Amino acid sequence: MGIEIQFIASDKLRDKTPPQKVQFILDHIKKSKNRILVIEGSLSSSDEKELISKTMAAIDKSFPGIEVASVGEQSSTLKTQLIKLLGGKPSGLTVVGPSSLVKQIKKDPDKLSLLTGK
Amino acid sequence: MPFKQFFSWLKNLFGSRQSFSLGLYGNVNAGKSTLANRISKDWSGEEMSSVSEMPHETREVIKKERLAVKVDGKILTMNLLDMPGIATKVDYRDFIKRGMKLPEAQNRAKEATKGIIEAIKWLEHVDAAMLVMDSCEDPYTQVNITILGNLEARKIPVIIVANKIDKKNAKPERIKAAFPQHHLVEISALKGENMDKLYRAIAQYAKG
Ligand SMILES: Nc1nc2c(ncn2[C@@H]2O[C@H](COP(=O)(O)OP(=O)(O)O)[C@@H](O)[C@H]2O)c(=O)[nH]1
Ligand SMILES: [Mg+2]
Repeated sequence: MGIEIQFIASDKLRDKTPPQKVQFILDHIKKSKNRILVIEGSLSSSDEKELISKTMAAIDKSFPGIEVASVGEQSSTLKTQLIKLLGGKPSGLTVVGPSSLVKQIKKDPDKLSLLTGK
Repeated sequence: MPFKQFFSWLKNLFGSRQSFSLGLYGNVNAGKSTLANRISKDWSGEEMSSVSEMPHETREVIKKERLAVKVDGKILTMNLLDMPGIATKVDYRDFIKRGMKLPEAQNRAKEATKGIIEAIKWLEHVDAAMLVMDSCEDPYTQVNITILGNLEARKIPVIIVANKIDKKNAKPERIKAAFPQHHLVEISALKGENMDKLYRAIAQYAKG
């Protein structure tokens, strides 16, 4: 089972309205069961609220929902690598994806760099 | 006198008798309904919600209106709202693993998702909230952070309830460390431990 990681730099979301931002995230998550989105920066609490509501409305037999975690602050290896990848400044990362994958990453953020093969 | 002043004068006059709405928020299975029942039983003699080990037992907002709670000789009238637990994922297969039949499991999942949307909508309408956490679990979850962030943004007073302290592996100090800026009360909703402390905290922090 290949895991697909998609990085989203913060300027990709910056110009979007909160509902557009959330729709963008959900659309990308729903494309594949093995996909994880790694978003540069953190979502605001109202974005998160919107994300949960929209996720609930989208749940059906084939889509059980998501898991969201903020990582990056704790892990120096991961941080330096991903910052390089994203070419940006550090401000934490938000990981969104299927529950089992995100839980593993939350527990051990360095796994993310293993998964990316870097 | 100007209308605004008149209004605040009225509010002060009736303030002590005015009811306020208190929402019980938190992760699924934190013990919100057990706590709602405990409070309701203490002050009205009746329970209000259904409790279960099965996740998403509460799938709509359950209200107990005009509950008169007496604290230090004063009476607080509140509308207590037991909310569905908030989650970012509802998988009907989890209910099947717990022994439910397919149609029932799918129906429960559908109802649970609607309940979560309703609970989130209510975040903007409660006057105060209690964020209930299971002291045996990691408190630093996205659900807890999202609920707190939204309450803070609206300046809605919140009390953190570290529940299930009767359990051997309870670590309420972890909750305190994760959210040091909030008032916290350690209780067992099941055993009724520290309920007096909780009522006092409601009188002190929740009633705006
Ligand atoms: N040991 C213990 N169990 C509790 C306590 N409060 C709730 N529970 C149990 O936790 C499970 C979920 O409780 P419930 O009130 O339905 O949680 P809710 O989903 O937050 O409404 C039930 O099995 C309860 O009996 C407590 O203080 N101590
Ligand atoms: Mg409940």
